[in-house]
Amino acid sequence: MQVLENLKIKEKVYTEKLKNGLTVMIIPKKGIGKKYIIWGTHYGSNDNKFIVPGEEQVTEVPKGVAHFLEHKMFEQENGKNSLDVLSALGVEANAYTTNNHTAYLYECTDKFYEALDEFMDYVQHPYFTDENVEKEKGIIEQEIMMYNDYPDWRVYLNTLEAMYYNNPVKLDITGTAETISHINKEILYKCYKTFYNPANMCMVICGDFEPEEILKEVQKRLVDVKPFISIKRIYEEEPENIVKSMVEDKMEVSIPLFAIGIKCAPEKENEKVRTHIAINILLNMLLGKSSTLYQELYQEGILLSTPASDYEFADDYAHIIITGESRNPELLYEKFKQKINEMKNDNIDKEDFERIKKMIYGESVKEYNDVSFIAKMFLSDFMKGINSFDYLEEIESVDIQFAKQILKDKFKEEKMVFSVIKNS
Amino acid sequence: MKYNKEEIKKGITLHQIDTDKFKTNLIAIFLSTSLNRENVTKNSVLTSVLRRGCKKFDTQEKISKELEEMYGAEFDCGISKIGKNHVLKFYIESINDEFLPQNDNNMLKKSIEILSDIIFNPLVENEGFNKEYVNQEKENIKQIIEAKKDNRASYASFRCIEEMYKDSPIGLYKYGYVEDLKDIDEKNLYQYYKKLVDECKIDIFVSGKLENIDIKRMMNENEGIKDLKSRDAIYVVNKSEKKQEMEKERVVEESLDVNQGKLVIGYDVINDEEMLKNEDVRYIGMLYNGIVGGSANSKLFQNVREKASLAYTTSSSYSYYTSNIFVNAGIDIDNYQKAVDIIKQQIKDMQDGKYTDEDIENVRKIIISNINSIDDEQDTEIIYFLGQELSGRNISLEKYIEKINSVTRNQIQDFASKIKVNTIYFLRN
Repeated sequence: MQVLENLKIKEKVYTEKLKNGLTVMIIPKKGIGKKYIIWGTHYGSNDNKFIVPGEEQVTEVPKGVAHFLEHKMFEQENGKNSLDVLSALGVEANAYTTNNHTAYLYECTDKFYEALDEFMDYVQHPYFTDENVEKEKGIIEQEIMMYNDYPDWRVYLNTLEAMYYNNPVKLDITGTAETISHINKEILYKCYKTFYNPANMCMVICGDFEPEEILKEVQKRLVDVKPFISIKRIYEEEPENIVKSMVEDKMEVSIPLFAIGIKCAPEKENEKVRTHIAINILLNMLLGKSSTLYQELYQEGILLSTPASDYEFADDYAHIIITGESRNPELLYEKFKQKINEMKNDNIDKEDFERIKKMIYGESVKEYNDVSFIAKMFLSDFMKGINSFDYLEEIESVDIQFAKQILKDKFKEEKMVFSVIKNS
Repeated sequence: MKYNKEEIKKGITLHQIDTDKFKTNLIAIFLSTSLNRENVTKNSVLTSVLRRGCKKFDTQEKISKELEEMYGAEFDCGISKIGKNHVLKFYIESINDEFLPQNDNNMLKKSIEILSDIIFNPLVENEGFNKEYVNQEKENIKQIIEAKKDNRASYASFRCIEEMYKDSPIGLYKYGYVEDLKDIDEKNLYQYYKKLVDECKIDIFVSGKLENIDIKRMMNENEGIKDLKSRDAIYVVNKSEKKQEMEKERVVEESLDVNQGKLVIGYDVINDEEMLKNEDVRYIGMLYNGIVGGSANSKLFQNVREKASLAYTTSSSYSYYTSNIFVNAGIDIDNYQKAVDIIKQQIKDMQDGKYTDEDIENVRKIIISNINSIDDEQDTEIIYFLGQELSGRNISLEKYIEKINSVTRNQIQDFASKIKVNTIYFLRN
């Protein structure tokens, strides 16, 4: 096993790529009661068009299959539902789907290995029938409707729709009532066989474990599958420019919600982490709690709390997104753009920069408090081709010069989208 | 993990949680007082005003800069209703010196100081708070109160409770009421603050690697804390609420532009004198609730979601202090009656003893697993001990597990026979 140690936070990660292609990462945490395991496949709601290894023609499936598959994986041939079996053991099991990966997980303090039997069994043995697929449609329709009632979800999706022409990141992960109506068991099996190959998957384990021992336990439970070489995914060409710069929607809300999106080109392999850190620092300098702009807007009653902001990216897309509530989102947007220009023209304040950098370092350290956080972070970073420790390692090398370059390259006014939801 | 508490002055308790599980120190100071309509809005505005600035750092910008300089130490504040108490909560989380580039930061001490400054050494001008801050925070609280409808599901839950407790502090909205804001100004709020600080129950929690650190001394030397007076704290020792059966169940419907209907059914636990005296009823209630709607194996999840495909979310929760079970489900509006019928059937099945010993054991395992991970999360652990403190108990985590293990089927059966519908609340379009 390959061992990587981070001396700053005194943690280690053990990584092994097994013969069948599966990557296993183990982060031991001595003395912690909670044990956490997460198993993900590099397959998410964006992967709707692909070539199955060994085939020649392109397969295209309805939107929402990855998420539907996640729901159906728990169903077993013996009539049992694995979620029930796991909860009966007293462990907390769950699953989720994102744009680029699907993950299955559980956490527990006791009965870890009994749960591991069931966990690894169900992820490796799908069982779909016409009947159980039909039944799920009603449940997922309710899930879709639940999301539709969240104004913050809607303002976010509207922003993505205004940024992207073709990239499926702009669509609901769940699909729509219409698209999921076309899903059947054949489609589910086909997607399962293509994407749930061990070579396309990664398992992360965090808790009080001996790495060698837990690895053996995992290997014992693996079904013999030949690794695929690679899956060809087809993403439609995405223009660099945005679809439209402004979108307004109405819902019953007490205060307008806004989102600002900035479309970026997908990141080069070796600069992802540094870019991410630099963007975080810049966003904090522009609109973070101690920024002059935030203080000004707060005092005028335009902002009530700091907006949330992040840089979201995968292999096929990258964008900055800022979301929040505001009494005057238009004014906020104007001032935000102004601030970016000022920062581009003047120099970045050194004192502010170093202070925010210290804060970003502290935030990265805090990620290592909780086993579930740690495991999820390592998995989602792995799916982007990143080792999570890199954030702690690279932060020192992010200097003003680099941040200035990022500000120029990424924060472009012509790539900005402004989305609001106002009271109906 | 080692937990100990000590009253440092009458009405002021220091709780120390010595743990090496985390990269951070978490310090929390809670001001608890009896909740009522007169003080609910004041408490809410006061919490917000204090975070705006203190004597040492008179603006939010200065506080934020100081915190950023401390490697992003995080200050947070909020208010909670715990039983019949209103709790003003102030937190600071900072990195343990061991994980910082230079090792001479003394972060724990600095964190206690800044937290204590914000709460106990506020910015005062002419015997009042800063006028501008008070006016701005009144506006903000108004917005927060008006925003309660924005999250449809939590709004429905709150509305059900409000309908059930029209004349009780339990039914109050924790952020207060818009119409009460106009009577608050910088002068009377400051007077109220001084009275509150002198009379409320104060709990100070320090969690982190505390070995060889004299926290008590740090407190005794702290400028804000050492001057606090001893007090007969004005708060409610939380006990379970007495319940009588309703003559008729109440049905409340409300319209909002929702896609999905939000159904909440509030049940009462009809408790006799004997049940009221026995505080361990809470453990029975937890097991009962787990079987009804606590996990994927629960009756609600299996029948409302998996069998009938009516909902994506459905679960139940139990509140010992108020003696209630709340069932909720997000459903298609047309399926209202169907969902109500299936949910009622689950409660009836419980009364008829239609659950297995295996069901009980499964829920027991989940609850114990949750207890076992309480000390894996700093804030969860603090909130657990605060709950104990406010109900005048001191049950260790080990003892808590024993209590869960000792609940019997007969006790659950008896509990099941006492569950009666109080209010059915439905949020629809």
